[in-house]
Amino acid sequence: MNKAWVYVILTSLSELVWIYGFNTASAWWHWMLIIIFLVCDLHFLAKACETLPTGTVYAIFAATGTVGTAVMDVFMFDQSLGLGKLGFIVLIIAGVIGLKLTDDKKDEEQSKGAV
Amino acid sequence: MGWIFVLLASACEITGGIGLHYFSQRRTLRNGLVYFGGLGVSLALLYPSFQYLPVSVAYAVWTGIGTAGIVIVNMMFFGESKNGLRLASLTAIIIGVVGLKAMGS
Repeated sequence: MNKAWVYVILTSLSELVWIYGFNTASAWWHWMLIIIFLVCDLHFLAKACETLPTGTVYAIFAATGTVGTAVMDVFMFDQSLGLGKLGFIVLIIAGVIGLKLTDDKKDEEQSKGAV
Repeated sequence: MGWIFVLLASACEITGGIGLHYFSQRRTLRNGLVYFGGLGVSLALLYPSFQYLPVSVAYAVWTGIGTAGIVIVNMMFFGESKNGLRLASLTAIIIGVVGLKAMGS
């Protein structure tokens, strides 16, 4: 796996942490933590874009935030997960897998070219 | 009035995305300002739209235009791949994100 994908995972994780914090923060130091995670999030996002296409990274970034919020609503804030929401989540996951596959294909072409 | 805020917020999100592209290539103060500033101003503009529009609708349109815009700008101006699987995957993500946000919480 390309190192840039590690940054994609890191930006997604830190995004989920600050979104969760945003929904639950109740003390001033919670907001300090949110800002720290937000800065880390934006840093990892830019690191991922150094080697992966910005469009790919940003779409996944938007996807994680949206799916994460929906899943948090279900598990932490007792909202229902209907068939419609589930369908859109599956569509998003398929899209992320597709983007990962196109990136792998590009790597192969490049390594072939190098040989 | 709400729609004006949503459209301006989307435009700022796209600007932030352009900043993100430049900032990831060269870490200058100017690129950083466009990146952080674009996304920051975008959220600041989205917030007042909630007074006029349902939150789920405003969110869905904002991410839809913003994400699609960033993808399109990067393909048109920064030479990103227009490979079929990549286009289909990006479309799936954008439809999924807009749909999920529109169903709201």
